[in-house]
Amino acid sequence: MSAAVVEHPVLELESVNKFFGGVHAVNDMSFTVRKGELAGLIGPNGAGKTTIFNLITGVYPVSSGHIAFKGNDITNQITHKVINSGIARTFQNLRLFKGATVLENVMTACQQHHKYTFIEAATHMGRWGRVEKKIRSESMELLERVGLAKEADRGAGTLPYGHQRRLEIARALALEPELLLLDEPAAGMNPEEVMDLNDLIQAIHKDFQLTILVIEHHMELVMEICPHIVCMNFGALIAEGSPEDIQGHPEVLKAYLGEEVEE
Amino acid sequence: MGTFLQQVINGLSLGSVYALIAVGYSLVYSILLFSNFAHGGFLVIGGYLCYFALNTLGMNIWMAGAFSLVGAGFAAVATEKLAYKPIRERTSVTLYLLIASMGMSIVIENLFVVLVGGRFRALPPVIPTNPVNVFGIATTSAFDIISLVTAVVFLGGLQIFLTKTKWGLAIRAAAYNLRIAGLMGVNVARLISIVFFVAGLLAAVGGIFLSVRYTLYPQLGMITIKAFVAAVIGGLGSLPGAVVGSLILGLSEMLTAGFLSSQLRDLVVFSLLVVTLVIRPTGLFGKDVGEKV
Amino acid sequence: MSAYTEGILILLMINGIAAMGVSLLTGFTGIFTLGHAAYLAIGSYTTAILTLDYGMHWLPAIIAGGILAMILGYLIGIPTLKLFGDYYAIASIGLAESIRLIIENWQSVTNGARGIPGIDTFTTFPVALGFFLVLAFFAFNLINGRVGRAFMACRDDHIAASLLGFHTARHRAFSLALSAFYCGIAGGLYAGFISFIQPIMFDMLKSTEMTAVVVFGGLGSMSGCLLGTTIITLVTELFRPISQYRMLIYGLVLVLVMVLRPEGIMGQNEFNMKLFRKIASRIGKPKTTSERG
Repeated sequence: MSAAVVEHPVLELESVNKFFGGVHAVNDMSFTVRKGELAGLIGPNGAGKTTIFNLITGVYPVSSGHIAFKGNDITNQITHKVINSGIARTFQNLRLFKGATVLENVMTACQQHHKYTFIEAATHMGRWGRVEKKIRSESMELLERVGLAKEADRGAGTLPYGHQRRLEIARALALEPELLLLDEPAAGMNPEEVMDLNDLIQAIHKDFQLTILVIEHHMELVMEICPHIVCMNFGALIAEGSPEDIQGHPEVLKAYLGEEVEE
Repeated sequence: MGTFLQQVINGLSLGSVYALIAVGYSLVYSILLFSNFAHGGFLVIGGYLCYFALNTLGMNIWMAGAFSLVGAGFAAVATEKLAYKPIRERTSVTLYLLIASMGMSIVIENLFVVLVGGRFRALPPVIPTNPVNVFGIATTSAFDIISLVTAVVFLGGLQIFLTKTKWGLAIRAAAYNLRIAGLMGVNVARLISIVFFVAGLLAAVGGIFLSVRYTLYPQLGMITIKAFVAAVIGGLGSLPGAVVGSLILGLSEMLTAGFLSSQLRDLVVFSLLVVTLVIRPTGLFGKDVGEKV
Repeated sequence: MSAYTEGILILLMINGIAAMGVSLLTGFTGIFTLGHAAYLAIGSYTTAILTLDYGMHWLPAIIAGGILAMILGYLIGIPTLKLFGDYYAIASIGLAESIRLIIENWQSVTNGARGIPGIDTFTTFPVALGFFLVLAFFAFNLINGRVGRAFMACRDDHIAASLLGFHTARHRAFSLALSAFYCGIAGGLYAGFISFIQPIMFDMLKSTEMTAVVVFGGLGSMSGCLLGTTIITLVTELFRPISQYRMLIYGLVLVLVMVLRPEGIMGQNEFNMKLFRKIASRIGKPKTTSERG
């Protein structure tokens, strides 16, 4: 690590709590992700990991606590504002626009950074031609990145599952985010696909200089590529550190295996 | 005070008729999570079957009533099987069901226009409408009291059906989660048929009373809009809500007509709708089905 | 060209403009409306009153009608568009009925239920054609670009859309305002075509017809809604001698389209080279798995 100038961490959660009725889904969670990190958020099913993403992106309001992005308080901020400030996410259950083509999915995100006026949109004059071309070419570039360029005109819903996951990543990248939240990107993938995904995530981490927070259930992905791991169970933080720290941690083992492990 | 009490009774009577319609509508919504806009059609079918039974078949009101209720029930089941089931089986998009129900509503209404003509028909005066004196303070018509009592009887019957019978239990379970009810062994296809039958039956009762009150014509089903409003105010999917919403609506309508202007009556209905949707879209008792992200 | 043919074409273009408006909202933004006749009414009445009572020239009068409809649409949209699916559809019915009732009762301004006769027939063939071509130009352009993509994102998955940075509430309200503008213009042209307007012309049946045409043509296809309008307007003309069947056919069309082909004639395709290539390739070789889903 080079000597870093003191600047705000990209993401800070401070004593965040979330209740759904009587269920304490997120319990006093605090952690920090520094700029440029590739961090992992792990925990058994139902630990509250996706809820954390939903709280960060303003899908649900927090019950208490604070969330800061690049030093700015974004707690309970309205979703589209959070996204526009530089955060993008993918979804555990995929939320592609299935009726649209692969390319159109990415273009829809890409257009957020390439604008023209309503009049130009209604008349196809002025900047329309130039900007649309830019949106299209940048989107194609992103598709190349994730290896989907050949499928550009296919309906997004017709892609095989693993490719759909890649498409979601491409679409999120089109938002030119500073912080990328990946929600179980490897779900449903076979080990070979997971390895390819690992490579992809590491590549985009480097090439786009992103800060990435990955939720994963699959240990192979997270342990391989994330130097900083946060482990949750029942909504609370149970361990934090490097893969080595996490691997032998008794609380982590208990959470995943459900019993006391004799050392 | 007399006028006030009179309008209150009128309002309760009208509201109770709305309740019969709104409850059937809400029942379907609670199971299938879509608004059956054709519900008004069942009402009209009930009205015409009763008219036909009274006039052409020469039945008395009890038999004609039974004939019409059962007929409307079967018509409702037929509508479901012909129009909704094929769509339900192919897609989970409720919008298509909505549009189809709108279509069925138009089809049923215009089937009657084409087959029997659109003129207004008065039912033979089988339900007494003579004035009745209430506690010496107000006069209302026997009709209002009878419709109120009938509505109570049928709603009470529905309540017993839902709480004390096996199918009633199945329906309540399905209202929570149709798929899980199916997994627990409920015959979902039959359950849906039963629900539609009940909805059609209740609508027919409402239809008979409305035909007497407003005379019978094919567009009578349009009045179901008000029942929809009532169901929304009470909370879509909630049966007690449908009843409460209906009473509120009936009372508002009658009090407005009595004390403000009868022109404003319908406007009040729709204003209540808009206000409810804007302030509390799930209505008084409705369930908020949040989406999982 | 005979006067009769010219009349049909003018009517086609007026209906086409309204259909494009509804298509933008329902087909492309996914907001199912059953109350757009209200905007037709606002456009009609505004234009009629401005030309008759204030001697305004028809061109600014029609545009004023469109703008008033748009403003009202936007204002109405802000509170009601947080509703989705059935709830919004019901709200749209309630709002449309409210507007119609207000028009019907505001005797001093609108002449109430009797309507406004004697409107100058300024909607000649060139006038209708002019408006149609300009508005079609805008509509087709809009859907092919960032505005169209934003609408479709809100339609296909509004949660995903907001998580892509779209202010979905604003886009939806904007879509409604735009569609209200189109319908307002169509209304203004309509007033100058039939020369006599009454509130009953803008009832729920009219609203349903406006939506049915778009559904029939294909939700999500601008050329589809024009195709749908053409077919239905022409068929209506053909069936004029038996116009009592007209509504029955509308209803059946809605139901059959939903049961057999809910995506409508055109689905989400437009009349362009891509479509012809698709059809050509499908005729040429057997269906492969890489077809659009």
